[in-house]
Amino acid sequence: MEILMSILAGILFATGIYNLLQKQILRIVIGTGLISHGAHLFILTMGKLKRGAPPILTEGAENYTDPLPQALILTSIVISFGVTSFLLALSYRAYVLNETDNMELLRGNEND
Amino acid sequence: MISNLAVLPIVIPLLSGILAAFFHKKLPLVRFFSKFMAVLNLLASLWIGLYVLENGSVILETGDWKAPYGIILVADQLSIFLVITTNIIAAFSVFYAQSVLNEQKEKYYFYSFFFLLISGVSGAFLTGDLFNLFVFYEVFLMASYGLIILGGEKIQLRESFKYVILNLFSSMLFVTTVAFLYSVVGTVNMAQIAERVQEADQGGILTTIGILLFFVFASKGAIFPLYYWMPKSYIVPNPVVSTLLGALLTKVGIYSILRVFSLIFIHEPMIQQLFLWLAALSMVFGVIGALSTYNVKLIIVYNIIPAVGFMLMGIGLLSETGIAGAVYYLIHDMIIKAALFMLIGSLVYAAGTSDLRKMGGIIHRYPYLGWTFFIASLVLAGIPPFSGFIGKLLLLQAGFEKDQVLLVIIGLVSSLLILLSMIRIFIYGFWGEEPDSKNVPNKKSPSLWPAMSLVLISVILGAGAEWIYPHIEDISEMLVNRDIYINSVLKE
Amino acid sequence: MIYAVMGPLIATFFIPFLDKWKHRIHTGWFLLPIPFIIFIYFLQFISTELTPVRETYPWIPSLNIHFDLYLDGLSLLFALLISGIGTLVLLYSIYYLDRSEKLGHFYIYLMLFMSAMLGVVLSDNVFVLYTFWEFTSLSSFLLIGYWHHRERSRYGALKSMLITVFGGLSLLGGIILLSMTAETASIRAMIEHKEMIINSPYFPLILVFLFLGAFTKSAQFPFHIWLPDAMEAPTPVSAYLHSATMVKAGIYLIARFSPILAGEPAFFMVVSGIGIITLCWGSFMAVRQTDLKGILAFSTISQLGMIMTMLGFGTKAAVFAAVFHILNHATFKGSLFMVAGIVDHETGTRDIRKLGGLMALMPVSTTLAIFGTFSMAGVPLPFLNGFYSKEMFFDSSLDIGGFGLPFLDALAAAIPYLAVLGSIFTFVYSMYFFFGTFRGRLNINELPKKPHEAPWGMLASPVLLIGGVILIGLFPNVVNEPLLAQTAKAIYGDAIHKHIAFWHGLNTPFYMSMAVVGAGALLAFTRHKWSRVYDLFPEKWSLNRVYDQTVEGIYQFSESVTRGYMNGSLRRYVRLILLAMIAVSFTFLWVTDGFSISNADVSPISLTEVMVAVTMAAAAFGTIYTSNRIAAILILGVVGYGLSILFVIYRAPDLALTQLIVETVTVALFLLAFYHLPELRKIDDHKQERGINVIIAGLFGLLMTAVGISAHSSKWFEPISSYFVETSYTLGGGKNIVNVILVDMRGLDTLFEITVLGIAALAIYGLIKNRRTRE
Repeated sequence: MEILMSILAGILFATGIYNLLQKQILRIVIGTGLISHGAHLFILTMGKLKRGAPPILTEGAENYTDPLPQALILTSIVISFGVTSFLLALSYRAYVLNETDNMELLRGNEND
Repeated sequence: MISNLAVLPIVIPLLSGILAAFFHKKLPLVRFFSKFMAVLNLLASLWIGLYVLENGSVILETGDWKAPYGIILVADQLSIFLVITTNIIAAFSVFYAQSVLNEQKEKYYFYSFFFLLISGVSGAFLTGDLFNLFVFYEVFLMASYGLIILGGEKIQLRESFKYVILNLFSSMLFVTTVAFLYSVVGTVNMAQIAERVQEADQGGILTTIGILLFFVFASKGAIFPLYYWMPKSYIVPNPVVSTLLGALLTKVGIYSILRVFSLIFIHEPMIQQLFLWLAALSMVFGVIGALSTYNVKLIIVYNIIPAVGFMLMGIGLLSETGIAGAVYYLIHDMIIKAALFMLIGSLVYAAGTSDLRKMGGIIHRYPYLGWTFFIASLVLAGIPPFSGFIGKLLLLQAGFEKDQVLLVIIGLVSSLLILLSMIRIFIYGFWGEEPDSKNVPNKKSPSLWPAMSLVLISVILGAGAEWIYPHIEDISEMLVNRDIYINSVLKE
Repeated sequence: MIYAVMGPLIATFFIPFLDKWKHRIHTGWFLLPIPFIIFIYFLQFISTELTPVRETYPWIPSLNIHFDLYLDGLSLLFALLISGIGTLVLLYSIYYLDRSEKLGHFYIYLMLFMSAMLGVVLSDNVFVLYTFWEFTSLSSFLLIGYWHHRERSRYGALKSMLITVFGGLSLLGGIILLSMTAETASIRAMIEHKEMIINSPYFPLILVFLFLGAFTKSAQFPFHIWLPDAMEAPTPVSAYLHSATMVKAGIYLIARFSPILAGEPAFFMVVSGIGIITLCWGSFMAVRQTDLKGILAFSTISQLGMIMTMLGFGTKAAVFAAVFHILNHATFKGSLFMVAGIVDHETGTRDIRKLGGLMALMPVSTTLAIFGTFSMAGVPLPFLNGFYSKEMFFDSSLDIGGFGLPFLDALAAAIPYLAVLGSIFTFVYSMYFFFGTFRGRLNINELPKKPHEAPWGMLASPVLLIGGVILIGLFPNVVNEPLLAQTAKAIYGDAIHKHIAFWHGLNTPFYMSMAVVGAGALLAFTRHKWSRVYDLFPEKWSLNRVYDQTVEGIYQFSESVTRGYMNGSLRRYVRLILLAMIAVSFTFLWVTDGFSISNADVSPISLTEVMVAVTMAAAAFGTIYTSNRIAAILILGVVGYGLSILFVIYRAPDLALTQLIVETVTVALFLLAFYHLPELRKIDDHKQERGINVIIAGLFGLLMTAVGISAHSSKWFEPISSYFVETSYTLGGGKNIVNVILVDMRGLDTLFEITVLGIAALAIYGLIKNRRTRE
């Protein structure tokens, strides 16, 4: 299953990057969302899947799933959430001020 | 407990940043508070520095969870030197800030972002845990996003969007790579990773993971070919923000490469070979960039890249001389870049434009600015006896020792071209006659003394190298003999 | 001795204060005693039995950089020239520079130079020498750009700096290699460990580096082009830096390292070869100039070439002649520059086409010029020092060869002829300079100012120098043993005792001199008839043009390269970055044989999971094809919720909850933001663009999958997390291990994760609020 999950995470990265390579701000932001999902899936997969009980100490459970990756993912999810919210606000303002959502038109020139 | 000292450079700015947010509209208060706290933080880090010099590394196991299980903070000589340098720049920037920011910007949390940035940068220097490094990266990046959009101009938003996207991508790559590494070696503590990578002889997938990690750091460190996001996004914000970003952020990337690739991934010479290639290319493309434009701010920003190339050269050579050169150059470059960004901010202010072709004769009105800039250019180009020279001397020597003649020659030629790019600003911006005097602004001009003090520090770093160099030698010895670090952390 | 080196430097700190009084007392008067005292100080070392003096001060001992001063004959000669000519130039400048000029700046640069130049010739430590070396270049830059409102000054300043700093950096490369191979930074010690250097594989490179350093500084062909443009500097500077001292730093360097290098065939070939070319080319081009200082500049180039040539011979006679000529050149050329300055000062022009007939109006200057130019031309008169050294040059040129290498022997055989050729043109430009300026018809109306004789203060310095020309000419042996012999000894190694005499009988050098005078006089007389020769060397092909085009080319090249890839397109940047990552990472994966896959330690595949996975993958692809923003957000939501289902399946309840909440809020935020953004458009790229994107995205996904699978397949170590399981309750007091990790074991992460959120909130608030206040 881990191999399958790695492939899925790879697909999330690939589609995310494809969106990142588009012109429209909206698509680019969607791309970042997909990439962070891919990243989190990778972290989870790296900690061995389904080996033992959920990492909550219970009587009788011998093995637990690796808790550390889960903790790392949690931290990462929250951080991504913060950055994504900021990015959304930024996209909105960038669009309003520059009057276009096409990044290829937002190259700028030498003198600014 | 004395080991708690290590957390001070992180906590003081963290608390300052939070507090500053609460009374962000009371400008006189927040200004005074910020200056006070920045200086306090500098003093605190100097104190820790002295302590480390006397008693050796300070290692804090946060929450008393012993290494390698909990997060540890390691204030060894390298880290604390960089923290001190950061705080020197921070303290001078905060004094410079008031003269270049308008009240609007100051009110919109400049000081909070500023302190949190410092907190994140110091954290990145001090942490001994790879995932924690990621968290601190996010802290200072998020703060830098806040700073870079301060003012909310059209161009700023446009360029910062690119900046955020590229950094967001590399952050995601960072956290993924940490996971990969965890999968193989089962830990996120850097010392333990080093130990285990050595045990596995860096075989199998480890080298590739190392390369991915390098790319993560390299994209922060503005190494060829990952610096595209940098030039424009560093020139759009306010000068004081450019100063902080230009002097500090790229250097965190370099520090991380230095730490990780002198501690962990050293068993595959191909990586070092790659570094040397990229060092050469960074120098070449950096100076090419610096010579390609008449925008004085861009010239300075592009000059970050060859400097980074020099440091990468030292890391790639991985000899004691090379590492010492890289560390010396790192400290030197942080200070002089900060000074230059401030000076350029003042120059643009004085000239009313950042286009070199429309400038001239500024030295008639601003002689001190002109001469400070002149000396700063020499420092940057590595003219002796200033600080750039010592680092460069060590690096070139290390290059010859490892028979990298071509690389040394590239280094020499790029020094010349760096000087050309800087002297061009001096000749055409400061010398000559002013084109017309009608666009002379008559507002208060940015304060010059912070930049002058930084240049003075650079001069002392060079001419007084004897005071600093022995410590740099210690640092490079510690970096080359990795067991010192590993044992001090894991206490085996 | 350190006070002599540092004295002028320390004086610079007081100049700004002295400058305040400049309207009452010319700043120069305050400074005049400094070089004079230094001169007197060095005079006392003159003796026939000079024992080298050494002083050591620690500077950066841990880097082997000691402030070592070392005075032997060679250093002494230069130190005397620097301080002696320095005194005269200072005196001259007091009358030359008006008080309305920025005297403070001028004297700061000049004093800086004096210190630096003394430092160059007195340092024994190569790194200290290099430091001072660069400072001579810098002070020269500042002095050339002294009148920086002139475009030509700025151009000349930049040019000289680029070329000399280029040389300086290559010198740096050379001394690093020298200090590495000889394991010392002291020149003394290097000479003692000569074999270590010569036998090192780096020896050829050391030679190249040192030569480049020396030739650029001493304006040797083809690096001489900066010197004529350096004439934009005030004339005292030209007399001092650009003829008597700084340009001789390269000569000094070659002389200083002669004990190590001389005798090597390559040394002779390059130093003498370049020297003789410089001699001929410089003197030939001097005749073409129309600016008085231009003539002198090319003349300096040519004379430096002559000294270089002799140093390249490395024979006893040649070294002695070189030393002698260093001294002689400083006297006559210094005085001629001063005379040129006087002419400029009095008439307002230096254009020789406008000048002429000044003899009647300026008798003293004319007399000075006669002695100066005739000495320079090497006219055989017993009271002109230039003749002696020139004849010794001819003499020594006949006595080389025997290298056994055909090319070198051919060069050695050709040198006497070239020497005569160069000297003929030397004679021509000397006559051209004198007759063009002082004889002929006086066109008083063409001159910007009405000329008359200069004030005595201005004449004093050239008079003293010409006095030197005559005295050395009359009594050459007075300076011989106490000074010249000592200097020559320092270069050659062994003592050289040579009696200088005017008449040697009818020997070959004498015939050579006669040929020079005869042919020279003829050519000088008929100059206007053959001067069209110079049209064969059009401006277009000149070395200056090469320099200009190189610099311009660098700018243009940089601009087009940088414009080419830094075009501001985010897409371009992402592509380039990803391509680099893909290429390098795959290469490393391939070379280190890093890919591995094993299904030994995997969990079983279950249908639910596969279904979730397929749905997520489909949704991920769906984002690409949809062109409805609401649909896009919902599809993205599907991926997010799918992820939280996976979290549930994979026993991560906390994550599932968090992901669920975060995803919901994110979707809401997306909706809010997208409501204001325009509708999604279909991806409208060309097929080619789309193809590139697909390939890059696909390859990167593949890379991540490959590394992920390999990483998973090589779990070589026991993860540290078992410790967390063990201690979660006992030490952490919590049963939910993930929670304990978050709030306790890795509490620092969580603290700063919240900080990130906080900063994001402030930044968003700032973005939105800022707009409100603006509107």
